[in-house]
Amino acid sequence: MLSMCILLFNGCAATRDILERLPFPGLASDRIETNYFLVHQGDDVLGQLGGIKLKKGDTLPDIARHFSLGINTIHAANPGIDVWVPRAGEHIVLPLSFILPEAPRKGIVINLAAMRLFYFKKDGNLLAVSTFPVGIGTEERPTPMGRMYITRKKLRPTWYVPASIAADHRKRGDPLPATVPPGPLNPLGEYALYLSKPGYLVHGTNKPASVGLRATNGCIRLYPEDIKRLFDTTLVKTPVKIVNQPYLVGRRDGVVYLEAHAPFEVSDSTALKKAYAKLKRIQNSTGLALDWHKVKKVVDEARGIPVPVSAIGSGGKTVEAQTTRVRHPDKLYGQPQVPEFRTDAWYVLAANFRDKVDARRLAAIINHQGPQIPARVLSMSGRHRVLAGPFHSNGEAGDAAKRMRIDLDIEGILVAPVEQRKTETGK
Amino acid sequence: MMKKSLLMVSVMLTLAFAIGGCATKGDLNEVQAREMAISAKADQAAQDAEAAKAAADEALLKANEAAARAEAAERRAEERERIAAEKERIAEEKARQAEAIFQKSMKK
Repeated sequence: MLSMCILLFNGCAATRDILERLPFPGLASDRIETNYFLVHQGDDVLGQLGGIKLKKGDTLPDIARHFSLGINTIHAANPGIDVWVPRAGEHIVLPLSFILPEAPRKGIVINLAAMRLFYFKKDGNLLAVSTFPVGIGTEERPTPMGRMYITRKKLRPTWYVPASIAADHRKRGDPLPATVPPGPLNPLGEYALYLSKPGYLVHGTNKPASVGLRATNGCIRLYPEDIKRLFDTTLVKTPVKIVNQPYLVGRRDGVVYLEAHAPFEVSDSTALKKAYAKLKRIQNSTGLALDWHKVKKVVDEARGIPVPVSAIGSGGKTVEAQTTRVRHPDKLYGQPQVPEFRTDAWYVLAANFRDKVDARRLAAIINHQGPQIPARVLSMSGRHRVLAGPFHSNGEAGDAAKRMRIDLDIEGILVAPVEQRKTETGK
Repeated sequence: MMKKSLLMVSVMLTLAFAIGGCATKGDLNEVQAREMAISAKADQAAQDAEAAKAAADEALLKANEAAARAEAAERRAEERERIAAEKERIAEEKARQAEAIFQKSMKK
């Protein structure tokens, strides 16, 4: 009995030792909250960080979508990790902890710098928030800021192409029709919430990999699965406030946190000065000693993760201790699938590389176009060919080649089915 | 009496000369032996010095060779490092270019 107890105890100690040596301590969990949180009185920090071990074939956009994160935040939280061809076995952080922006906790609040939407609602007597990553306007066509509200909702919206966008497309040799009906080519996706600021919408997308990028003409884009949830729960007249706060200061369990995002305007130090002033106010009013070296480090690194900058008391935890290890799911939600290779189909030879990583990267980028263009790498004799397809017809392959030329600057070569080539060559 | 005395003196002188002559020869032998020994030692020392010099020359040669090898190895390592850094730079550049193209393709 005693020896069994000793063995058991040793076993536990050994297991503990192994777990402590892993990047994220604790047993791997199947689930981590990604979108819905209760907001406790006096707390500004939501959720917890996750950690996951990558598998062969993963890309950061696929991991990001599965965990309802934008590509910007997963990239910032994991500097040095190849977005498209990360190494299998690498551990990455899932930045699923957020500081609420400084704005009234009512209706929809969108923080452009964090590229994240927060939707506040009552859950019984408690305040709850649903949060989703978003894609926002480009530098040339930025998303407007300020107060507005939802004027109407539309399922399967039609896209009325604005004149400026039509002109851009014409210049690129890709003229657009005046209207794009609902369907896979409609960039609004399946759901749209129209804002009181004319011409601006919160909508879905046919390019899910663009969530977390500055890629829209000022609209707010969500993953198709996220816009459905927002659409279903949002009422017309819901207030919307759009802010741009790259530096967020918040408190949870008596600990002060700072979350920094790379600001859009590096030269504009107003937001940073405001954050420092807030931290100083907290230090003076609470007597909490803040680690100013850490504050500077958090600002410089801009990893988009809430980091404790005050002394960790009994209620607080370090960033590492707050990280939950998450088991890699068998299937990542929304991950593009590539159909089996077929000899009776049309393909487009996109590129031919010496370096396999280059080939895998391009194939992944082609696969993440919206709508998807399936692509794979075929390796032979030290060369790695990127083939887009299979396509049913010459026309379909031609359309894909055109899209690759316009969107990715790739001059693809059409490859006929094997049987047809044999007939043509008489072999 | 006078004759006896003279004889005694001459005998004494002869003896003295005889004894004195024997001592000089021994000394000479000793000196010769010493000279030979010193000469042998000098020869040995010269040989040792020659051997030591040869050994030192060889050691110096080896040290120079080792230093040259180390320098060459260092140069090779630096070259490898430079090539690796260049490869990394090229890989990063390619990744950046690919990312820029991807981001452009994500616009409406």
